[in-house]
Amino acid sequence: MEPELLVKFKDVDQEILGTLWRPPRFFWFVALLLFLGLIYGLVAWGYLIAVGLGGAGYRPPGVMWGIFISNFVFWIGIAHSGTFISAILYLFRARFRTSINRMSEAMTMICILIAGSYPLIHLGRSWIFYWLIPYPNQRGVWPDFISPLIFDFLAVSTYFTVSFIFWYTGLVPDLAIIRDRTTGLRRRIYGYLALGWTGSAKQWHHYAMSYLLLAGLATALVISVHTVVSWDFALPIQPGWHSTIFPPYFVAGAIHSGLAMVLTLLVPMRRIFRIENIVTTRTLELIAETSIVTGIILGYSYVVEHFMAWYSADIFENQLYMFRLTGYYGWIMRLVVLCAVVAPLCFFIRKFRTDPLWLFVISILINIGMWWERFVIVIQSLSQNFLPYQWGFYWPNWTELAYTLGTFCLFLLAFMLFAKYLPSIPISEVKKEAGIPRRKGGLFHEE
Amino acid sequence: MKSEQAFVAAFSCVDDFLSCLRILKGKGYEIRSVFSPVRLPEIEEILGMGVSKTRLFTLIGGLTGGTALVSLAICAHLSFKLIVYGKPVLAWIPWVVVAFEGTILLASLSSFVSWVFKAGLPRPSTDPGYGPEFSGHKFGIVVAATEERRSEAERIVTEGGAEEIRDVSA
Repeated sequence: MEPELLVKFKDVDQEILGTLWRPPRFFWFVALLLFLGLIYGLVAWGYLIAVGLGGAGYRPPGVMWGIFISNFVFWIGIAHSGTFISAILYLFRARFRTSINRMSEAMTMICILIAGSYPLIHLGRSWIFYWLIPYPNQRGVWPDFISPLIFDFLAVSTYFTVSFIFWYTGLVPDLAIIRDRTTGLRRRIYGYLALGWTGSAKQWHHYAMSYLLLAGLATALVISVHTVVSWDFALPIQPGWHSTIFPPYFVAGAIHSGLAMVLTLLVPMRRIFRIENIVTTRTLELIAETSIVTGIILGYSYVVEHFMAWYSADIFENQLYMFRLTGYYGWIMRLVVLCAVVAPLCFFIRKFRTDPLWLFVISILINIGMWWERFVIVIQSLSQNFLPYQWGFYWPNWTELAYTLGTFCLFLLAFMLFAKYLPSIPISEVKKEAGIPRRKGGLFHEE
Repeated sequence: MKSEQAFVAAFSCVDDFLSCLRILKGKGYEIRSVFSPVRLPEIEEILGMGVSKTRLFTLIGGLTGGTALVSLAICAHLSFKLIVYGKPVLAWIPWVVVAFEGTILLASLSSFVSWVFKAGLPRPSTDPGYGPEFSGHKFGIVVAATEERRSEAERIVTEGGAEEIRDVSA
């Protein structure tokens, strides 16, 4: 059953644009705190540029991929739900996406930008990151096109570009609505961004075709990007990584964490901006139901991983997975299962998936579980390698934790600014879902 | 040559708007523009718009992107001729990923550029006859008619439920 919007066609503009005009009083105070958190993270990055990656505690032969890489996987994963909601659900004509797709797309872009910063730090010399870009250069050096790291660079940059185009295309009609309801400088800025859109038949005609095609292209990316990210791990012969289950397992995990983050943002946002009649409880319920599916796929993947390690009779795989369950990182794996697999099962009970407070709490638990899951995959696997000589214990130091905190602050700050300056709910799409008035009575809905 | 006059009729009800548009089109009036706050496929059907060429540009962009990136990979690897991971210099299989990313990237870019230009955007000002109510909750038809036929066109839209009629310059 699709959720019913509780808003009328005529009132949609006012309801949604209200989020732009009237932020609550504490808005700027919270924004300032987040900005300070971001500055703290940037100071940590500056410190690492000055002293090198040794400042982050990386010492050979131990764990050389720390939480910078697990954070990269975490943020890219969260980015996935935006495209999942906006593109895949659009192709399937799932109407509940209408009220949440814009903010999910914005979340996607912010997350990709944040994710992209982690490999840059990890390069050590971040300022020459452009060496990754394949272009004719004086050095006569080209990147290796069969390396998963170059696949990753191409996949992430393509993902960001396509997500941005898709988001902006959807935004153009709404920018015209804001242009028509503002004056002065605001009107000029929104006018430039709206490109002169008037909603003429010709414009809708080409726009709709392109939007459909972009949805199809973005859908392919949802599957491909995290598949490519998983190859960073699956292609080396590292125990704990070298597995064919990684691509589907990563994609399911990505969508799982992304849906949880959508709930984490949506529950407080609909209350703060008083948009409960547009983002209805039924919408939240449907996201929660989707979370059950992704959580079960994830749980199945954990079981298969451990089963295959035992069934393969490979001593290195076997000892690594035993170490995963019982070693000094064992508590993390148990926490992951509890938060990312068991907690979403609560959504089988109707009260948990319809009560915003429970939805928020469980979504936070899933986020915690998914962050630690990436810690297990990246760090725990590296800490017990083939040779005992390489074995080691890793724990992030202040630089890594500071930058991680900074990126969480950046994420929330960027999202708040997006909600303040751009319509976080697609106005023209919600209008259509609200039903257009007819002379004969009733509402006009597209079949 | 008979001088043509244009006017815009604004409607609140979608069924009134669509039926007037159908009648005006059927009677051979020049429909200069139609404004709608939401996309209505019925408008495209009445106006007899074909399939958007955006599809073609997207396809061309995709093919170009995939080919270009694989060509770049071939050039780069031939310039080194290094054996990496024991694979041949021209290792085709991993380039599926490279081709895929190039295809998606350029297809998306060309899709965006083509819809913007085919829609007559970007433009510094809005269409003649456009008003802010058409991005809100009203529908508009800009009709051009000769002096003799204008009264008939006005009668069609007024009887059809138009709430406002105003002249359009140019």
